[in-house]
Formats: sequence, structure tokens, C-alpha cells
Amino acid sequence: MEKRYKILEHPADIGLEAYGASLEEMFVNCALGLINIIAGDVIINNSESLEISISALNIENLLVKWLSEILYLFDAKKFLMSFANIDYLSDTFLRAKLSGEKYNPEKHELKLYVKAATYHKLKIEKRNGIWTCYVYFDV
Amino acid sequence: MDVKQIDKYRFLIQKSFQKGMLIEGMIYADEELMEAIQRDETIKQVANVATLPGLVGRSLAMPDAHQGYGFAIGGVAAANINDGIVSAGGVGFDINCGVRLMASDFTVDEVKPKLDALLNQMFRDVPCGTGKSGVINLAYNDLDRVLKNGAVWAIENGFGSPEDLEHIEENGKMPSAEPSEVSDRAKERGRDQLGTLGSGNHFAEIQYVVEIYDEESARIFGLRKDQVTILIHSGSRGLGHQVCTDYLDIMQERMPKYGIRVVDKQLACVPIKSTEGQNYLAAMAAAANFAYANRQMIGHWIRQAFEKVMGSGNLKLVYDVPHNIAKFEEHIVENRKMKVLVHRKGATRAFPKHHPEIPKDYYEVGQPVLIPGSMGTCSYVLVGTDRAMKETFGSTCHGAGRAMSRHAAKKNISADELIRQLSQKGIHVKGASKSGLTEEKPEAYKDVSKVVDVVHNAGIALKVAKMVPIGVIKG
Repeated sequence: MEKRYKILEHPADIGLEAYGASLEEMFVNCALGLINIIAGDVIINNSESLEISISALNIENLLVKWLSEILYLFDAKKFLMSFANIDYLSDTFLRAKLSGEKYNPEKHELKLYVKAATYHKLKIEKRNGIWTCYVYFDV
Repeated sequence: MDVKQIDKYRFLIQKSFQKGMLIEGMIYADEELMEAIQRDETIKQVANVATLPGLVGRSLAMPDAHQGYGFAIGGVAAANINDGIVSAGGVGFDINCGVRLMASDFTVDEVKPKLDALLNQMFRDVPCGTGKSGVINLAYNDLDRVLKNGAVWAIENGFGSPEDLEHIEENGKMPSAEPSEVSDRAKERGRDQLGTLGSGNHFAEIQYVVEIYDEESARIFGLRKDQVTILIHSGSRGLGHQVCTDYLDIMQERMPKYGIRVVDKQLACVPIKSTEGQNYLAAMAAAANFAYANRQMIGHWIRQAFEKVMGSGNLKLVYDVPHNIAKFEEHIVENRKMKVLVHRKGATRAFPKHHPEIPKDYYEVGQPVLIPGSMGTCSYVLVGTDRAMKETFGSTCHGAGRAMSRHAAKKNISADELIRQLSQKGIHVKGASKSGLTEEKPEAYKDVSKVVDVVHNAGIALKVAKMVPIGVIKG
């Protein structure tokens, strides 16, 4: 896939349109888009890795919780994700291995502080065989 | 017509506007601001809120309203405590985001020659910017004390003096706070962020009073022409964001148990009297206390910066107000006195004179209402009114309201050029992030003076004083 995500803008909002040949790929691309909103195009090394699992009520809830997890890991643990491998995904559960490194103010210039992922206009759909999601963040 | 203009500053959203509205909506705006409001989904969001169970009066939007998440920013909604709901989205992610105003003994002419030194000192002493940690290293139990005691904790630990408390809404401490209802994740996000300004539209500004509209109130608030004031805009940082995130999830999961359905997931809510509702309110109060402590500490460091550079750190706390909060208050609804839970999301409490909850020394004039403008424009002090009590659950506007996307704001201007332009206007800026700076340029926001004129003319807060900035520190 050529394009992983597109940043969406509105006066008060910033959001993402993320794509994937599979739901797993779309979830990963959406998380990469979120990291791009936070840290821009800076190179993030794969020096650390961690495993996470998330349960949710449905697939929309799972996507918001997944993005909330990425935000939590950055804000609380200073972990900037560079890549994720989702090895299990259903509508209500996911398990993933994240790679990345600790935020380093000498190296990473942060672009935007994201407070939270929201359900505002949240949509997940399969369009022309491509999984696409729309999600907005409070910044 | 579903949207009916009542007078020059009031637009009624009738129940026929949208299926399922249980109460009417009301938007405070003039025609020009209403045009801006109609460009996004603000009116629909006001109508969506009106579908929530157990609300009383009207679903309100202030003139600075713009599209938010579920609730519009600039919205006010009050719920009956017996059968009404509490919504985490009705407070928002930045719990107790608010404003603090301090007044110095200096005139603008006395500060100007030392302005750069003062700004540099403030920038060194107040941690600001994305990803910036605070200088306070809290032990686990200490954070719980902050969450329980708010600004009282800060003062007990040497940040400011006890007389500050009288001039903070709720005296700087929501007693209903329960740190055990705040998740470990929220505490982890907040632990090293206590005493940090944050980024985005948060700032600390050195300003001076350029105009007094109401001599008597200004005198009682301790404000006079040419006097230097300091305005701080900050909130509960990552801790508050995580509390909202956690409880949105809990509310969404438990709503079906209470037979509640909402038209927008971001409006997720539960009955006030439910366990989940009570837990949220206890956690929200804890996050609000974190924000009160945060602004108290930032205020203390700015006092120290003044002490070092100007030789006096005597900055009197005029007032400190939250503008994202839910509070139990007594109001008269349809001629009946009742206790309600007022959600203010991007709205400021504006209680009138003689209200029991305002400071004794302001008792004869009313509560100061602090309205920050965007970077490089102006800010206002207003005073609460009886009319606000009657119409808006004692609430008014909170600021300018965004009018341009961040991307659009960044176009056509570099941070260096913006700094140069502001400097030509006599405003010195120190920002941690150049990218963040241009996103907050003055033109990205509505004109705060127009917003304030609407609330003044509508009578839901009256103008007392206007300040313009000479120096800003930003995240």
C-alpha cells in the first residue's frame, strides 16, 4: 500500500484517515499516523519492545482503546512507537508487539500534544477492498 | 423556523430542530458570531445534548462556542440530581482547564525595561511544552494528597500563601475528590506533570490593564489602569485526560444497564446516582484538584520570577476559575429551587453579588470571570450577574474559540515571522515549540472582544477590565 494514512484537519480538530489491506494493517497505520501527529517525521529507533493486549466492547471501541494505549505509553512511559505487529485481532480483542524507543528531547522534537482519541465521527469501513478508518483526536 | 432569533443576542433551538430533543437549546451570539457557529456542527451538538435524559432548563452554547466532541465547546447543561445524568464528555478531556489572574504592584512602564529578563526567568522556572516533565518528583502517596487536597496541598508544601485559597473557586479544593477512583494509568500520566504549563493553547502571560469599564468592581478586585497583571491558562494535564478517557469507556459500557441510548458515543453518560456516576464525579474532582494545585504552583514560580527580576514577588491572586467542570449547585428552574449538576464545557461560572459561594471581599460586586484571549490579543475580567443565574445556570463564555485549523494557521507564516510581528506590536513571546506557536497565532481564533461584547450585552456577565499582553510564555 502506498499511503498509510492522511491527516484530517478542521478548525478545532485533528484527525486521521488510515488505510490497510487488512484490519491489522489499518490499526497499525492509524497508530503510526498518531505518532506522526505527535512527533512529526522524526526517525524512531526500534531499541525497545513491549507486548500489549486490549479487550473492548466492539471494533470501534477497540480502535479507540488501541490509540489510547499508544497515547498512554507516550505520556506516562515516554515510549514513542516506531512499529507494531498485531498477532491477534478480533472485534473485541487484540494482542500486539510494539517496537520503539524512549522519547529523547535532544533527538525528537514534539509537534503536538494529543490529549485523547475520541469517538467523534469515528468510522471503520471497507472501501474498494481497502480497510479505512476515520478518527479524531482532542489536542 | 427551528432556530428562532429571540433578540439581538439569543437564538432559540426549538425542539422541532431534531427528533428526540427533550429540552430546548439556546445559543448566545450576535449575527456575525452565529454565522461562524453555523459553519460547523455546534448547533447539532447543542441539540444532541438536549436529547440526554434528566436535563433541566435549556441546553446552552456561549458566543465562543465551536464544534467539540459530543458536547460543543462553550456548552452548558444542567441535570436534575434525582433522574439526571453525568457525562464525562460534558466536562471534556482537560478537566478543570482554567484561568488564574494575579495582580502586581507594578505599572507597565516599570516592567517594560526588564521584560525580557522577566520572561526568560519565567521560562526557566515554569516547565512548559510537550513532553516536558515537572521539577516535582512525587511519591505515590503524595500524588494522592494532591488529588485529595488540590491548592491546599500546594500551599502546605510552600507554594503560595493561605490567603490565596479564598480567591480560588471552591477554595482550590473539591472536597468530593476520591483519589482511589483515579486509575493508576491516570496517576502515571500525571505524576511528573504536576507544576507544568502544558502546550497547545496553554500559556502564561504578562499583561497590563488598558481599560476599566466598571470602576467599583475593578477597585474591589484590586485592578487599576496601567497595572501589570499575570494570567495563567492551564489544566489537569495528562492525568485529567486519562480520567476522561477511562470513564468514557466505563460509561459507554454501562449505559445499556441503565437503558440509556445516546445519539453520539462521545455523549456517553450514566445516572448521577449510579455507582459509575458517583465514581466519575469523585475522580473528576480529584483531577480538578490536580489542576488547582498545578495553577497554584505555576503562580508561585511566577511570583518568584518577579521577586528575582523586579525585586518584589507580591502578586495578589485576583481569582482562579475552571472552565471545564461539572458541579452540584442550587438554581431556580421553572420557579422552583433545585439542586442540579451543571456541566460547563468551555464555559465559566459567573455568580452574582450576594451569592454565598463567592469570596467575602467580592460579596458586594460578584464573582470575577476571567476570559483569556488568544496569544497576542487581549483578555478580560468580567463580573457575574443575576441574569446569568436566571438564564444560564450562572454561566458565561470562556475565551475566544478557535476559528482556523492548525494546518491553515501554519500556512503563510513562519514562527520567526510571527514572533517578529508580535514584537512589533510590543508583545514578546517565548515558546517551547515553534510549530506550536504558529498554530496559536491570533488570527486562528475568533475575536475575543466580540465574544465578550455579546455576553455583556446579553447581560450574562458584565465587563470590568481589559488587559493586553506584553509578554507570553508558551508550551
